[in-house]
Amino acid sequence: MNLLKDLLLAVQTAATADSLVDATRDLAAICSDLPANSSDQLTAINCLIELLSANNPGAAVAAVDGLIACKTAAVQPILNNLDEHNYGARAWAVRALAQIGDPRGLAVLQRAIEQDIGPSVRRAAAMGLGRIELAELSPEEKLETMEICLAGLKLGCADGEWIVRYAAVVGLENFSRNSSNSFAQACLRLLQARSQEAIEETPVVRLRAAQALAAFS
Amino acid sequence: MDKKILPGEPINEVEALQRLQQQEDPSQRCYAAWWLGRMRSQHPEVIPLLLKALEIKPTATEAAIAVARSAARSLGKLHAKTALAPLIQALLHPDHGLREAAARSLGELGDSKAIKPLMERLLLPGADEPVGNGLHLGEPCEALLEAIGQICITIKFETNQDFQQPLERFLQNKRPVVASAASRALLQISGNPKWAEPMLALLEHPQLQMRRAALMDLGACGWRPAAEAISCCLAENSLKLIALRNLVEQPLISSGSISLGAREQQLLALMDKLL
Repeated sequence: MNLLKDLLLAVQTAATADSLVDATRDLAAICSDLPANSSDQLTAINCLIELLSANNPGAAVAAVDGLIACKTAAVQPILNNLDEHNYGARAWAVRALAQIGDPRGLAVLQRAIEQDIGPSVRRAAAMGLGRIELAELSPEEKLETMEICLAGLKLGCADGEWIVRYAAVVGLENFSRNSSNSFAQACLRLLQARSQEAIEETPVVRLRAAQALAAFS
Repeated sequence: MDKKILPGEPINEVEALQRLQQQEDPSQRCYAAWWLGRMRSQHPEVIPLLLKALEIKPTATEAAIAVARSAARSLGKLHAKTALAPLIQALLHPDHGLREAAARSLGELGDSKAIKPLMERLLLPGADEPVGNGLHLGEPCEALLEAIGQICITIKFETNQDFQQPLERFLQNKRPVVASAASRALLQISGNPKWAEPMLALLEHPQLQMRRAALMDLGACGWRPAAEAISCCLAENSLKLIALRNLVEQPLISSGSISLGAREQQLLALMDKLL
């Protein structure tokens, strides 16, 4: 496909930061239209993943959007290329996995909520833990996944940064929607705590928790 | 006091008080004044010591002025009500930096008694003209405008045409920060949407730094009509979320405590999308 070749070439030969952003946007825009799991799509996905390490925030944002649009097709390539030594690239990968919601990304999200130093990365992980797609899992896998999600969301609720707690509240609201009774009860208790002034100091977090509780009943 | 500890290393409250009290080393006093404000110290000796550091002669040395600036900033952070008159007095000091620090702290105190002296300083002849090497304007206009706006927002000032008009000429100031501070103050004073327009236009400025400043300004004003524009602005989601939080928690035009009304639901939905 010549268009893809041209777009990859544009990324490789971009001379300025701005032209790299433009080239990344163009590539990201067509990536999800390529035949799913074709070698062309895989090539495009791998190029977007490399762009996460380009130290260019505009390009990284565009690359993350492109990866999210490819949905589950992007998950394995992202996991295969997780760069332990490049914090920035790892943070962008967490954002992409959080939005895609594939259970294969769970371990990365769990680790991010537990120990990532960047509040915006923990924020993305907290949101992502609430939207892991459970439908295709076996009953045992589903139970195990939900336990990990709930534990992560509980940590997010106790985070020192208000925005991580806010994201955890949103995560709990989504998580409780496809939860069985005992998980739903746990969500309810965590949300009730976040809605109380004595426990939660940030008004907008309390307001968001109240909104989630109103949807609960 | 242990002389081996350098400024910047962790200290405790008692030690900070000792460092502020001693007179030999002004750089230690400067650091201690900053530290006590930063740590929101509640110790009863803190405010009297900071007030003493603030009280300096017009002819004071550079070192004493640096301590006074640091004290002025911390008194604002600590919301020290007793600092009102001394901070107003500091607005008259020949040092530009001290006047700037005093103005910002008066804004934080939010007492309407400071408006008149702040306005007087702002409307002095040559206040908005560059002086010396061109680094500063005659007066710290940005800080003065921000303080006036902030006080008006805290005390929910009534619309007052006489009060707005003198500020309008600062909208034309050549320095974008001063022009932005003017539109922000005018919006806070009047709640009139026309003053939000310059800030809304800056959300689309080609420079990221200007877009960031505009979205933080709109957030600080609690200007809820800007929410949608803020959420689409090309800037970091973290900053947009902080601005939207301000719109939820401190709306410029509010009817008492925040509840979960239709507009709040819309604001929360915008925040959810940025996570």
